[in-house]
Parts: sequence; structure tokens; C-alpha cells
Amino acid sequence: MEAEIQLLLATIWYAIIGLILVLYVILDGFDLGVGILTLFTDEEEQRSVMMTTLGSVWDANETWLVLLGGALFGAFPLVYAAVLHALYIPVMAMLFGLIFRGVALEFRSLARRKRPWNLVFGGGSLVAAAAQGFALGGLLGGLSVAHGGSADGAWSWLTPYAAFGAAGVVAAYVLFGATYLIIKSEGDIQSVSFRRAQQAGVFLIFAALVVIPWTVRLYPYVAERWARLPAFYYLAGLLALAFAMLLRSLRLRRELSPFFWSVVVFLASAGLMVLSHYPYIVPAAVTAQEAASPSKTLIFMLTGIGMLFPVMLIYNGYQYLVFRGKVRLRKRPAADEA
Amino acid sequence: MDTLSDPVLLSRLQFAVTAIFHILWPLLTIGLSLFLVAMEVLWLKTRDEDYYRHVRFWSKLFLLNFTMGVVSGIPMEFEFGANWDRFSGFAGEFFGNALGFEGAMAFMLEAGFLGIMLFGWTRVTPAIHLFASAMVALGASLSAFWILVANSWMQTPAGGHVENGRFRVDSYADAIFNPDMPLAFAHMWGACLETSLFVIGGLSAWYIVRNRHPAFFLKSFKAALLAAVLVAPLQVILGDIKGREVYKTQPVKMAAIEAHWETNPPGQGASWNVLAWPDRQAEANVWAIRLPQVLSLLATTTWDGRVAGLKAFPAADRPPAIGLIFYAFRIMAGIGFALFGLMAWTAWAWSRGGLEPGRVVRQRGLLLAWVAAIPLGYVATECGWIVREVGRQPWVVYGLLRTQEAASQLQPAVVAASLAGFVAVYAVLLVVFLVFAARIVRKGPDMGLAPAHSAAGHPASHGRREAGEGEARHGS
Repeated sequence: MEAEIQLLLATIWYAIIGLILVLYVILDGFDLGVGILTLFTDEEEQRSVMMTTLGSVWDANETWLVLLGGALFGAFPLVYAAVLHALYIPVMAMLFGLIFRGVALEFRSLARRKRPWNLVFGGGSLVAAAAQGFALGGLLGGLSVAHGGSADGAWSWLTPYAAFGAAGVVAAYVLFGATYLIIKSEGDIQSVSFRRAQQAGVFLIFAALVVIPWTVRLYPYVAERWARLPAFYYLAGLLALAFAMLLRSLRLRRELSPFFWSVVVFLASAGLMVLSHYPYIVPAAVTAQEAASPSKTLIFMLTGIGMLFPVMLIYNGYQYLVFRGKVRLRKRPAADEA
Repeated sequence: MDTLSDPVLLSRLQFAVTAIFHILWPLLTIGLSLFLVAMEVLWLKTRDEDYYRHVRFWSKLFLLNFTMGVVSGIPMEFEFGANWDRFSGFAGEFFGNALGFEGAMAFMLEAGFLGIMLFGWTRVTPAIHLFASAMVALGASLSAFWILVANSWMQTPAGGHVENGRFRVDSYADAIFNPDMPLAFAHMWGACLETSLFVIGGLSAWYIVRNRHPAFFLKSFKAALLAAVLVAPLQVILGDIKGREVYKTQPVKMAAIEAHWETNPPGQGASWNVLAWPDRQAEANVWAIRLPQVLSLLATTTWDGRVAGLKAFPAADRPPAIGLIFYAFRIMAGIGFALFGLMAWTAWAWSRGGLEPGRVVRQRGLLLAWVAAIPLGYVATECGWIVREVGRQPWVVYGLLRTQEAASQLQPAVVAASLAGFVAVYAVLLVVFLVFAARIVRKGPDMGLAPAHSAAGHPASHGRREAGEGEARHGS
């Protein structure tokens, strides 16, 4: 009985952390994606519009990462410790990337010379996204984490699978960023964003076609599950449908559906990932139940953080509601700024 | 070269660097967020547009500080796992919880309402705007609360037991409200308020002394002074009570703070070292200026109470860098009294009519003293944290887990590289921050700024969002 409760609680926390991760990837994903996209524009005014679409929301979006860290630390302390230790280099790279892009967003508006801060903002976003991709790819590509001990070395996460994961995450964030900009902008920025979203979408289709068989080959148990569970085929079908609808909505120049279908693409991929590896939290090494804190801790966290979850969603959603609508350029010369 | 090959020492240095840097920003945002709420309430109550302009002006500094706080705070959370994996495994059940609550309850509240507070003036009603500002302030203080819960638990771990090398929680209430927590939080919160008040007052004094909008800045100066009348003495009192609590819960830290080596024999009071030069090797002070019996009085409120000396504890359990702890404590306490004195001097001048708009500009000495006091709160707080954290060594979790046993076994070169990165990046960021903060201050408030809301209380316009709104958020 006790073991069953523990399993249930561990599963609930696995789901909550998964949900936080999903929210983080979508919300900070478009943030970082817009940041990467600013690297590809030469026009200062366009860059201003792009960065303004983030002004009121990026702090809140990044908070999901803080929450992710805290929740993982409390619910699965051993995973938190072992994984962050093994991923030391990509984690530090991500932190530096986030520091740079965060300050650049604010500093740029105060700076007389915008150029260096433009580069810092775009570069920081790219580094943070790529580092997250390397971390995720390193974790899913077979990170060796012994219980409480160290990994093979500081670079054990660096595999071809991880490098491919980094490219995939960058492309996914670019897709989120571009489809977000389609909603928030008009004119030139919007047209360019349609094109970028299309490029990112096509790359992601290619990435999916590579990663799915690669994962099945890496992990015998994944192949065995694919053969056994029909849910895989439904999810793979949903993924294909979402990709098709994404490209269609981009061709038809719809404003809201590209972002929606990007999210569906991501959710279907995340679903496939969970279905492939659950109950492992570190693939083929540590299960959620093994790593979970005792029931008492999980219940305490559930009553606190779990109860706050809907409240957080409400006021975060409210903020998006208050700032809905397109961002436009102000019709006054930029010279009198700063 | 020994030090550069010890990953534990490198991890300690890295955490010290990130923590010392990070604390600088929440110190101001916590106090400033409350000041902004107070100004907004005054604006809504009095309809005096100066208060509205105060809110808009100080929010620019708030935003700049908030951003620095966010970007420098996130690394700390991840360092626990990355650099201190054995600590995380040991303490995660409680410590991770506290950080989780900080994120869910406090940080999210702050970040979730920040956008509305800063850019929502024309988009929401005044009441909702005030609510957003209040939530930002509440979030900032709650954040300090949960961080102090986590840290104070490391000082006086309670509410559980160690089992198989991991801390198991028996009572969350006992762990959260551990012996150190209430005073530690009160003292730190007081430090945030006091630092912010002397920054607000000091900057206001700078404008007044230069005769820039003296009447306008007299309002913020007096508001800061009025709050300081409460906070400055309270902070001294809290510090005194905190000291006696440290004597009870962490006697060896107390002995280090006072460079007190020999336990005083019964019937004989321990003398207090005003200044001293402690020598860890010789287990004595090279020299010292003493006041007889005063240490007994301070620690135990009796003239001859027993105060354990450093030598009463095994050498392996004594904190390192006793000189650092000793002097950091004296700087902190000295600044506490200095700020109290400045507050008293100013209150006295006010009572004699010295703060009237016509006369205040001539109070050069007083105003310049406030300008000089701007950095003091920061220095005192950093010193306080050095006393608190270095004094806790050689333990990470006092009495339960040693620092040596808490660190990740990383390759020294990897930690050295990340440490060098933090030092370089933070040094640059600090300089750039100061340049931009100075630019905001030099530019001063926009005295022509009209309130976003008509007197009837409806948003003046529901216009679409313009790029300039975020772009020039500091500028207009």
C-alpha cells in the first residue's frame, strides 16, 4: 500500500514537472526564438519591435525555469543532483547565455550604441537555446549517471545525438519565435517570420525523421514498446498531422494557427518522448519512483506548489490578455530616446 | 597552485562570487517595490501628480535592478545541483522544497505582475495597477522569506533526522520555523528596507544639493527619512537580539565573530575585543584592544556569564578566516550605528525647520552625508552575509554535513573555467549597470509627464501597444 502511494505520488510529480517543462519550453522557447531571429535582421526598427514583444513577458517566462529547478530539486533531489552535475558544462553555458540575453534586453534600451547589445542579446539567446538542446540531447542520448556519484567526465554529454538535439531545440525555438512574431507583428516582420517559420518547420520534419529511428535503435526497450503500444502510432500520426497543418497554415498566411500547430508539434513530440522512456527519468538509468522524495515530502509539495499552479496560470494568462494585440512602431524619431 | 586544483574550494569561491553579486539587487528591489506602492497610494489619495512622477521615475531604477537580480539569481539555483550535488542529495527533500516555494509563491508573483506594473498604465484601471504593484512588492518580500527559510535551515537545521546519509523531514513547520529563521528573516528584511531607504534618501539628497527639483525630491527624502526613523533603530535592536541568538545556537561562530579564544573562568567576565588581530596558528590574538567583562554582558546579559572560546571547540570545527569574520562583523555593526546617527541628525534638523524647501538646500553637510551613505547599506549587508556564511564553516548544514562532503567531484579545470567566467561577466555587468543607473539618475525625472489616467479613473486610452513603450521604457 505504501509503495503504491509512493508510486502514485512520484507519477503525479513526474507529470507536474513535465507540465512545467512544457510551459517553459513553449514560453521561454518563443522568447529565445525571437532572440535568435533578431540576429537575422539588419533593421534597427524591426529589431525594436521584435524585442518589444518580449518586454513585458520574458521575466515571467523565465520563471518557469526557476520553478522547474525548484520542483525537480524538491521532488527528485537525486536526479537534480546527478543530472546537473553530469551536465555541468551545458548548464553553465545556458546560465551565461540567459544572463547575457536578460541584461541585453534591458541595457539595449538605455544604450546609445545599440549594436553590441543586439549581438549580446541574439548571441545569448542562441547560446542558451543550444545549451538546453545539448543538455536534453545529452540526457536522452544516454548520460551515465551513477547514484550520487559523478559521470564519466565533464564531457560525457557530448554525443552526436546531443549535437543533433541542440540543432533540433534551436530550430524548435525559432519556430516558436517566428510563429509568435506572426501574431504580434505586421508588415515586413510578419512576412519574414512566415518564411522563417517555414524553414524551421521543414528542418524539424527532417529532424523528426532522423531522431525517431535513432532513439529506437539506441534503446532496445523503446523498440519493444513501439511494437507493443498502439499509442505510439496515434502520437506519430498526430505529429505528422500537426506538421502538415503547420505548413498549410503558413502557406495560407493564417495568423494564429501557426503558433497553435507549433505547440501541437511540440506536444506530440514530448508525448512520444514520455511514452518512450517513462518511468525512466534518466533514460535506462533512474526511474521516477527510485529518485522520488518520500511520500510526505511529495504531499507537502503538492499541497503548496500544486495548489498554486492554477493561480500562477491565471495571472500569467492575465498578463498576456492585458498586452494582447500587435506591437507597432511609434511614429516619432528615435533620436530623442535615451 | 594548490587552491586551483581543489574543486571544493573553487566551488566555494564560485558560490561566494555569485551570492555576493546577487544580493546587491534584491536588497534594493525589495525596499524600492514597497516605496513604489507607498508613492502610488499617495498619488491615488492626494492626486498630487508629483507622486505619480515619483512612481514613474523610481520604476526605471527598479526595472534595471530587477533584471540584474533575475539574471544573477538563476545561476545560484542551478549551482546547488551542478557544484553541490552531494548537498542536494542530502538536503533536497527540504531545501529543494523551500526553493520550489520561492519560485512558485514569490518569484512567479513578482514576474507575473511586473509587466502590468511597468507597462500597464494605460491598459488597466488604477485599482488593478495598484494591485499589480502590491503583488510585485509582496512577491519580492516573500522571495526573501523563502530564501531565508532555506538558508536559516542550513544554520540551525531542525524538523527532521538523518537517515542513510539523507535528511528526512519529520515536521515541515519545525524545519521552516527553525530557531534561526524568524530573526534572520527580520534582520535581512530590515537590511533591505534600510539599504533602500538610504539609497532613495541619498539620491534625493543629491538632487536637492544640486538644486534640481528640490521641492519634488524633498517629498521622497522626507518619506525615506520617516521610514528610517522606524527602521534604523529597529535594525540595531534586531542585530543585538540576533547576536545573542547566535551565541546560543552557534557558539563557535560567536567566538569567531569576537576573536574570543579562551573560555572565561567561572566568576570572571569575558572581555570584549574592540579591535584585534587573530592568529589561527597560534590560537590567540597577536594584539587586541579589550573592554573587560563586556563580552559576557553582550552575550549573556550578565557581567560574568560564561562565553565559550574558540579553543573549547576542536580545531576541525572552527571557522576559517577568523580575521575576516571579526572585521566584517565590526563593519556591519558600525554602519548600523552610523546610519542610525544620520537618521537622528536629520530628524533633529527637521524638527528645527531645517528641511523647509527654502532652507534645505543650504544643509550641505547633512545632504552630502546622505549621498555618502548610499553605498553603506550594501557594504553592511555583504559583511553580514560574510559573517553568517563564513562563520558557518566548516559546515554546509551546521553540525550535519561538512562542506568538504557536500561538493560535486568536478574536474578542477571545469570549475576554474566557470568561476573565471562568473568573475569576468559579473565585473563587466556591474560596471555597465553603474553606467546605466548613473545615466537614469543624471537624466532625472520627467517633470512634464502627465498621468496616464484621467481623474475619473478610467484608462486614458486603449491604444495598441507601441514599440516605444518597451523600447523607451526608461526614456519616456
